[in-house]
Amino acid sequence: MLSRVANNLIWLDRYMERGNGILSLLKVNFYANQDSPELFSWSPIIKNYTSTDNTFYTEDAVACIDFIIFDNENSNSIVNIVKKARENARSVQEHISKELWLCINSYYLFLTKKGLREKLNEEDLIVFLDNLLAFHLKFYGNMEITLERGPAYYFMNIGKYLERVIQISDFTAMKLIEIAKTSDNLEQSFYWKNLLLSIGGYQLYLKKYKSFKEDHIIAMIFQDTLFPRSVYYCINKLNRHVNLLIDTGELEKNNIEFLLGKLESTIKYTTIESINDQGLDNFIQSIKEDIKNISYSINTVYFSNIN
Amino acid sequence: MANDDLFSSYDLLPNTWDEMYNNPSDIRSQYKIINEYLKSTSPEMLFKKEELSKQLFMNQGVTFTVYNDNEGIEKIFPFDIVPRIITSSEWEKIDRGIKQRLKALNLFIKDIYHEQYIIEDGIIPAELIYSCPNFLREMKGVKVPHDIYVHIAGVDLIRNNDGEFYVLEDNLRTPSGVSYMLENREISKRIFPGIIPKNQIRPVSNYPNLLYKKLKELSDQNDPNIVLLTPGIYNSAYYEHTTLARLMGIELVEGSDLVVKDHFVFMKTTNGLKRVDVIYRRVDDDFLDPLEFNEASTLGVAGIMAVYRKGNVNIVNAPGTGIADDKAIYIYVPDMIKYYLEEDPILKNIETYQLGKPEEYEYVAKHIKNMVIKKTDGSGGYGMLMGHEATEEEIKDYLNNVKKNADNFIAQPILRLSTAPCCIDGKLSPRCIDLRPFALSGKDGIDVTPGGLTRVALKKGSLVVNSSQGGGSKDTWVIQ
Repeated sequence: MLSRVANNLIWLDRYMERGNGILSLLKVNFYANQDSPELFSWSPIIKNYTSTDNTFYTEDAVACIDFIIFDNENSNSIVNIVKKARENARSVQEHISKELWLCINSYYLFLTKKGLREKLNEEDLIVFLDNLLAFHLKFYGNMEITLERGPAYYFMNIGKYLERVIQISDFTAMKLIEIAKTSDNLEQSFYWKNLLLSIGGYQLYLKKYKSFKEDHIIAMIFQDTLFPRSVYYCINKLNRHVNLLIDTGELEKNNIEFLLGKLESTIKYTTIESINDQGLDNFIQSIKEDIKNISYSINTVYFSNIN
Repeated sequence: MANDDLFSSYDLLPNTWDEMYNNPSDIRSQYKIINEYLKSTSPEMLFKKEELSKQLFMNQGVTFTVYNDNEGIEKIFPFDIVPRIITSSEWEKIDRGIKQRLKALNLFIKDIYHEQYIIEDGIIPAELIYSCPNFLREMKGVKVPHDIYVHIAGVDLIRNNDGEFYVLEDNLRTPSGVSYMLENREISKRIFPGIIPKNQIRPVSNYPNLLYKKLKELSDQNDPNIVLLTPGIYNSAYYEHTTLARLMGIELVEGSDLVVKDHFVFMKTTNGLKRVDVIYRRVDDDFLDPLEFNEASTLGVAGIMAVYRKGNVNIVNAPGTGIADDKAIYIYVPDMIKYYLEEDPILKNIETYQLGKPEEYEYVAKHIKNMVIKKTDGSGGYGMLMGHEATEEEIKDYLNNVKKNADNFIAQPILRLSTAPCCIDGKLSPRCIDLRPFALSGKDGIDVTPGGLTRVALKKGSLVVNSSQGGGSKDTWVIQ
């Protein structure tokens, strides 16, 4: 496969995954903000998804959602993310299924259709967000059903799980800052619950652990083997797809595989006690550092000779 | 519900061939079925079908992007739902005519880049060849597989008021529009269910398979690596490049994906370098190789021409084919046909005056109101003067400009392009059309796909069908 194509496939999925994460976060924060606006303000979300020179901040839910979805200047706005996903898809059309292309194209057309932005003020916000999220669900389903299990699929999955693990780390780090600000146990539990909701693990958590305990939440977010949005699960999938690429001859055995294997066992075998000893924020920081190195290695192996 | 209103304002243009009407009360037989169908369809339904066709183009991304204030706007090439219909006997002549013409043009290109008998025998003046900007010295003496230079051609035809098809341009470089031929048919199937089989229309969908076959023939490898080279996503025909690559199952590459090493062309893959055997390029000659042509080009591949001359890669169409579709050379195509094939041309040329010849200049200047003047190296409908529309002042300015380099200009009488019914604001109106059939040459001969791209001037009274100037397209049906 062309290096450029592989790169575009990875980014196609990274953008789609990012869009899905941001929209889920907006939806969860909207609910939480209704209960306790002082705990679930919009500013940290805006801060996380804009560049450092951004000056726009608001605590108005509609204005914030409008900004995050539609702002043209913000490279992480949903419109811009989907635009980039579509551009990547457009240039790799002969490698993805026609259905998948139609799916991404229809999302882009929906988002850029005249009058959609105005609807944000008129429609129910949750319905509005759900309509966008539905495109992501279609994308996931389409990819699973229409793409052959081959290099294109593996590269897309690398993009997906790379982005997902970065998001989980970011969400958790964001919440830890808030949690550190309060000593109130109830408030802290709100934050933890909100974090679980944002990454879609609340229901599973209740099923498994029933009541709130910080250690359990950390174990679930970082180490659960069955939860598709745990850090461990994502690293495991990354590892799997890197190995599939090695099997199909698209990648030579090298340090990416080593780095991933090492990270996977670190996460799996680190005890809650030792996470607490080093501090969760440090633990997250070291995971982020490792992911950065892995992502960097993928770039050098595949894409250093682009241009 | 009958829709009698539909035809209420179909005013035939004077002195013009209409594809549907023989005379105001007589519909040509090939249009009877579609005519019945349209008549029995309500205006609301027709409107819905038009909307559906637009939606289908948008959803599939059959669009080009217009950049304005940093914002890309997706546009579709306007599509008129009423098909243009050609009878089998009309097609038979077009088919033979195009094959004959391409055969001669290909012999001409080979001759020009080798022995140049046609110059020696005084049929075409040498200075005309050497002054042509599309003549590539780099191609002199280069042997190409099966002696084929033009593998893909899109010959532009128009039907004059005598009912005959005339050749307007030969388009032998990187003709575009074939994806619209394919896509328009897919849309027709959706909006006129059942009508195509009833009319016994010849299919066009085999084009990509045939193209693949012809590309594959060019390589002596068992399983050649064939790629389509695109200038990239900002090119207005990018949709076409992605479609053709997908339909042939070949890789779509950009110049930066390719590299020349040890006298071969390679593409940069995740697996290392992989040899490329055949390149269907949609990049113009000038941008193909920065070492030999435009050195600022980032769209091509440095060193590719040297590899090509060694015979280690095939480039389709061959570089240098532009010598044969130059507007100044066009005049000589009937002579070429006689010279190389000893045949009379089946399809006529349009009478063309060379403004470099004083007596022809005089004649054109005298009849300027009935003339269109073109630059010999222009395309896309730019830089033309339409005598009947221009003011005295514009004509004066234009002719002053012509005098500076008269050899670069030709003139043709303003043609009566034939008209076909178009659905405009819920009613059928006649609009001017042309026809671009697509032909593929290979070692087993030439195949012309039955149909092609019918372009239509959607502006009332306009003769300019170019997409950049308010043109649209129609599906083109050839009856079995």
